[in-house]
Amino acid sequence: MSTTIGTAARAADLGPDVREGVRDLILMLADSKRLLGMRYGNWILGAPELEAGIACASMAQDEWGHARLLYALLKDFGDDVDRLEHGREPDDYRCMDALDREPGSWPELIAVNTFVDLALTVQLEALAQSTYLPLRQRVQKLIEEETFHAAHGTAWLRRIGRAGREAQQVMREAVAAVVPRALRWFGPDSRYAHVLQEASIVDAVGSGLRARFIERAAPLLRELGGIDVAELEPDFTGFDESTRRTPGTAPDARTIAQVRGDRNRAFLMD
Amino acid sequence: MIYEVFARKTRGEPLRHIGNLNAPDDELGKVYAFNTYDEEKWFDMFVVPRDRFIEVFNRLDAAETGERAAVLAERAAGERAPVNE
Repeated sequence: MSTTIGTAARAADLGPDVREGVRDLILMLADSKRLLGMRYGNWILGAPELEAGIACASMAQDEWGHARLLYALLKDFGDDVDRLEHGREPDDYRCMDALDREPGSWPELIAVNTFVDLALTVQLEALAQSTYLPLRQRVQKLIEEETFHAAHGTAWLRRIGRAGREAQQVMREAVAAVVPRALRWFGPDSRYAHVLQEASIVDAVGSGLRARFIERAAPLLRELGGIDVAELEPDFTGFDESTRRTPGTAPDARTIAQVRGDRNRAFLMD
Repeated sequence: MIYEVFARKTRGEPLRHIGNLNAPDDELGKVYAFNTYDEEKWFDMFVVPRDRFIEVFNRLDAAETGERAAVLAERAAGERAPVNE
């Protein structure tokens, strides 16, 4: 690149529209990880074998840790972190919409484990060289911790895919419900996206991120069969880029009450 | 299938047996080993399917048969991974 782009040690060093985009992105990632952690956590006792339950506990712990760390970054943007974590309504959450509902079966959780986790990792990787230093300094550790999440999802996806025609069909349906949402989540190649790429906050816009996602997802989808990624061109009608969601949709109230820890509020200490 | 898990804290140190687990294949065996035993800072970690352990000899080979059978039974039961095989 011919121009040298400076780095920013603080949010205040970012230009106003860049700053807003970075804050949106961090909040989207934090909320997604918070919800994903809860989805894993709810399967600790329902997993098909003890070791898979332990894996869910471990992944939940990782995701909640990542969410914590990402929420904490928003202090730099003037946010009240306590309010972000405990004081928002379902409509305010910016998690990937594939996480809105509790996975109803183990294959559904595995679809989330494999493809939602992958989408979040692809997004994190695009931030690994970010000019916003607080993010750059933390992202690598998060990416490393995702390695075994991907391995868990992939191994189970294959295992279910091999378990007979009926299991394979259930797995396909679960994957078909998640992958289009993950692809759409990366967003369009808009002005909003280009602002962050030009400032080297991220190293790709929506289509580039989608291509990276597809590169890794395609072999798994081919093995499973029945899903053609080429046919999954996302439809951005009604898509709000600052939340990467369709306005008017939200996780259900019960999920958010659990995520916020409403029932444990009285025990919260500083 | 039962996998035995080995790890060490530092390079060059002998591998230490740290536990076992049930997994249907090597891929999940690796994942489960990591998830279950990674609370400590290991340098490296390995899993081995228990049925790939090849006994070279046993001091009781030549001894009275009852004791040898008891050792084999102990081995089968005592080092069992926590859930169904």
